[in-house]
Amino acid sequence: MLELSHIHKYYNAGTVNEMCLFQDFSLTIQDGEFVSVVGSNGSGKTSMLNLICGSIPLDSGSIRIGGKDITNMPEFKRQRKIGRVYQNPAMGTCPSMTILENMSLADNKGKPFDLRPGTNRQRVDFYREQLKSLGLGLEDKMDVKVGVLSGGQRQAMALLMSTMTPIEFLILDEHTAALDPKTAEIIMQLTGKIVEEKHLTTIMVTHNLRYAVEYGNRLLMMHQGHAVMDRAGAEKTNTQIDEILEKFNEISIECGN
Amino acid sequence: MKKRNVKAVILATMAMAVLAGCSSSKNTETTTTSSEATSSAESKAEDGSSAESSSAGEDTGVAEIADGDFTVGIGQFAEHGSLDNCRIGFLQGLADEGIVEGKNLTVLYENAQADGGTASQIMDNFLAKKADLICAIATPIAQSAYSAVKKDGVPVIYTAVTDPVAAELANADGTPVGEITGTSDKLPVTQQLEMIRKVLPDAKTIGIMYSTSEINSVSAIEEYKEAAGDYGFEIVESGISSTADIPLAADNLVEKVDCITNLTDNTVVSSLPVILDKAGKKNIPVFGSEVEQVKIGCLAAMGLDYVSLGEQTGKMAAQVLKGEKKASEMNFEVIKEAAFYGNTKVAENLGITLPDELTESAAGLFDEISSTTK
Amino acid sequence: MSIVLGVMEEGLIYAIMALGVYITYKILDFPDLSVDGTFPLGAAVTVMLILKGVNPFLTLFLAFLTGAFAGCITGIIHVKFKVRDLLSGIIVMTALYSLNLRIAGKANVPIFSQETIFENAWLESMVSEALEPYLVALILLVIVVVCKILLDLYLNTRSGFLLRAAGDNDVLVTSLAKDKGMVKILGLAIANGFASLAGCVYCQQKGFFEISTGTGTMVIGLASVIIGMKLLKRFNSVKATTAVITGSVVYKACVSIAIAMGMAASDLKLITAVLFLVILVVSNRTEGKVKIAGKKGK
Repeated sequence: MLELSHIHKYYNAGTVNEMCLFQDFSLTIQDGEFVSVVGSNGSGKTSMLNLICGSIPLDSGSIRIGGKDITNMPEFKRQRKIGRVYQNPAMGTCPSMTILENMSLADNKGKPFDLRPGTNRQRVDFYREQLKSLGLGLEDKMDVKVGVLSGGQRQAMALLMSTMTPIEFLILDEHTAALDPKTAEIIMQLTGKIVEEKHLTTIMVTHNLRYAVEYGNRLLMMHQGHAVMDRAGAEKTNTQIDEILEKFNEISIECGN
Repeated sequence: MKKRNVKAVILATMAMAVLAGCSSSKNTETTTTSSEATSSAESKAEDGSSAESSSAGEDTGVAEIADGDFTVGIGQFAEHGSLDNCRIGFLQGLADEGIVEGKNLTVLYENAQADGGTASQIMDNFLAKKADLICAIATPIAQSAYSAVKKDGVPVIYTAVTDPVAAELANADGTPVGEITGTSDKLPVTQQLEMIRKVLPDAKTIGIMYSTSEINSVSAIEEYKEAAGDYGFEIVESGISSTADIPLAADNLVEKVDCITNLTDNTVVSSLPVILDKAGKKNIPVFGSEVEQVKIGCLAAMGLDYVSLGEQTGKMAAQVLKGEKKASEMNFEVIKEAAFYGNTKVAENLGITLPDELTESAAGLFDEISSTTK
Repeated sequence: MSIVLGVMEEGLIYAIMALGVYITYKILDFPDLSVDGTFPLGAAVTVMLILKGVNPFLTLFLAFLTGAFAGCITGIIHVKFKVRDLLSGIIVMTALYSLNLRIAGKANVPIFSQETIFENAWLESMVSEALEPYLVALILLVIVVVCKILLDLYLNTRSGFLLRAAGDNDVLVTSLAKDKGMVKILGLAIANGFASLAGCVYCQQKGFFEISTGTGTMVIGLASVIIGMKLLKRFNSVKATTAVITGSVVYKACVSIAIAMGMAASDLKLITAVLFLVILVVSNRTEGKVKIAGKKGK
C-alpha cells in the first residue's frame, strides 16, 4: 500500500516564480491496483511520480510504502521496490552495452554489484525466453548493442528490465508517449500482460485517454495538484472515454486552455 | 565509408614505417635532418650572442681542426637566456679545442620545453642518430640523459646542474656515477652576500623569491639562510608555484625587505621584469645571479657567466670526444671565481653608488638597461 | 632500434595512465583533470617509499592505492559537494601539486642508486646479457598487459557492468537501486589508481622524480584514448583497452617522428593538436552516420 499524506510542494519557493504544485495532497493506492493517471500538462502527474520515487524532495507531508515511512529515503534506495519506465526509451537501457549485458544488469538489481561475473551464463536461457515473450526477435540479438535498437524495442526492453526482479510498484511515466501508435499499442499490451502476470501495483501516467480507460482498475484525473476524478472498481469499468474527455475539456476551459 | 577508414589505418602504418625507417637507414636520415638542426642551432646562437662572445662557429683561427667527425646531441631543458648562453659557450669551448660545428662537428639540438616526457624522447632520438656525446643543459634533462644512456654507454656532459651530487649524477666525493660529468652552476652564495653588504651597508633583510618546484632553488635558499647570519642579514623567502603567482608575491615581498636577490630560478628569472618594476617603484634594489639579469635591470651580481661556464663544459666534452679522457674519469667542475657585474644606470636610478672596490674589479659594467632578456 | 624501443617504453608507461583516462573519459564521461596530479603523485610516493627501502615491486600496489584514494577525493568533491566535474579535478590536481612536493620532499628526487623494478639484483641474476636491451620494454609490456587484462576482467564483473552503466545512462543505475554517486567515485578511484601506477613506473624507469612531469598528462591520456579508439574502431574484435594502449604507443611514435624530423619541441603541442584534429575528422567522416544514429537515442 502506498500512502501520500498531506503533501506540499512548491517550485522555486521564495522567488517571484514561485509555483504551487501540491497543497495538502493525499492519495492512497492499495496493493494490486493499476491506476491510470490522466491530466493536462502541469497538473502534477509526473511530479507525483517524482515525489514517490524520490527524484525531487517534498516540502512537507509524508510518503509511506506498506506502512513504512520513506519520505527521507534517498531515491536509489526506494528504487529497490520500485520499477520505473520513462517516457524516453533511452532512459531504461544502456545504449553501449549489449542486450545480454543489459538483461544481466537488470537481473542483478537488489543483489550486490561485486566482482562476480557480470553475466551469469546459467541465466542466459532465461533472458532469451523473456525476450522471446516480447515477440520482437530480440532473443536472436543478444550480443547486439542496445544503442542500435529502435525506440520501441528499447522501451520493450526497459519494461522487461524494470520488472525482472521482484518489485512492489511499477511506475510508468508516459511510457508510450514517444512511440508511434502501432509500437505504443504493442508496448501497452505488453504492459497489461506483465502487470497481470506479476500482480504489480502500478501507476501509469498517460495522455492517451483510451489507454486510461482500457487498462487498469482505477482512474485518476489530476488538475492543479488535486485529483478531480477518482474512480475505481465497477465505477471505473463503466467510465466511458467521452465522459473523461468532457471532464477534461471542462477543466481545460477553466484554465483558459 | 570503408575506404576512408582504411586511409586512416594506412596513415598510421605509414607513420610506423617512417619510424622503422629511422632505425634502419640511420645514415641518410642523419645527414639530412642534422643539417636542419644545425642551421637552427646556429641561427639561435647568433641572435643569442652575448656581450663577451661572438658567434661560436666561425671563430676558428686559434685552434687546429681536430681529426675525426663528431656528432653531438645537445638537449636543453627549457628556453631560457642563461641556458641558451650555456649552449653558445659549449659550442665555443668545443671550437677552441678544434671541434668546429659545420667542419668536423654535427650538432643535433633539441629543446624539451620543460617537458620531462619529451626530454627522454629527445635522448632516444640522439641515441638513434648515433650521437658520440650528449650535452645536457639543466638538471632534469641531465637525469633523463643519464637514464637513457645507461646501457648504451654514450658519454653525457652536463652543464647548469646546480647540485650534481643531490641529483645523483655524481658521488659525494665528486666522482661521476657513470659516463657522465660536467659543470655545476652552483651560486657563489657567500660572495653574493658579501657584495650586497658592501653595496648596502645598512640593509637588514634580503628577499628571495623562488619556485617551490625547482630543486636548485630550494637548495640555494637553504644555503642563503645558513650563510646570511654571518653577514648580518635576514632572509625573507617567498615561494611561488607558477609565473602567475609572481606579481602578488612581489607586491608582498617589496613591503617586507630592504633588497631582493635572485637565484637561478627559471620561473622567477623569466618574470624578472615584473619584479624589477615592482621593486623599482618602492626604490628597492634587486640583485641578480648572473650577467644577463644585470643587463636588464638588476643592480649588481656576483654572478656566473653562463657563456664561460659553457666554454668550460665544451672543453671537457672535447677531451672526451678526442679520447683523451673518459667522462667517468673526470669530476664535475664548478666555476671557481664569481665575477662582479654592475649596472650603473640602475644604481643612478636608485640613488646608490657602487663601491669602487667592486667596480674596479668588475667583469662587466653596464650603463644602460636593455629591454629584453636576451 | 633504440628509438623504437624508446617509443615502446614511453608509450607503454603512458598506456597505463591512458587506461585510467579511458575509464573516466570514455566509460564515465567525466573529464577528469586530477590525473595531472595523480601521475606525479604516484612518482612522489614511489621515490619516497624506495628511499625508505620499500621493495620496488610493492610500490606498484601502494602507488595504485594512493592514486585511487586521490581519485576518491575528486569523486567525493564532485558527488557529495556537488562541484562540477571539471572543477573537482582541478581542485584535486592543484592540491596534489603541493602534496606531491611534501611527499617527495623536494621538486626533484633522484633514485638512480636505488633498486627499482627495472634494475635490481634479482633481475640481474635472472636475465641474460642478450635480453638486456629489451628488458625495460619487456617488463613494461608485462605490467601493461596485466593491467589491461585486469581491467577487462573487471569491466565484465557486476561492479564493472554498473560502472559502464553509470557512464552510459546514470538514470538506470538509480533504477537498479544503486547510488550512482558511489559508482562514479569508484570509477574515479580506479582511473586515478592507474594514473598513479603509471607515475610510479615512470619514475622508476627514468630514475628520478620531477614535480613538472604531471603537466599535460591528461592531454596525453586523451590523445591516446582518442587516437587508439578511432584508429581501431573498425576492427570489432579489438578490445577498447587494446586500442587505448595502441593509441598511446602511436601517439609517442608521432612525437618521436616529429623530433626525429627536426621539429622544435615548442611546436610539438601544435603537432599534437593537428594530429588530434586529423584523426577526429577522418574518423568522424567515416562514422558520421552511425554516430548520429547513436546520438539520437540519448
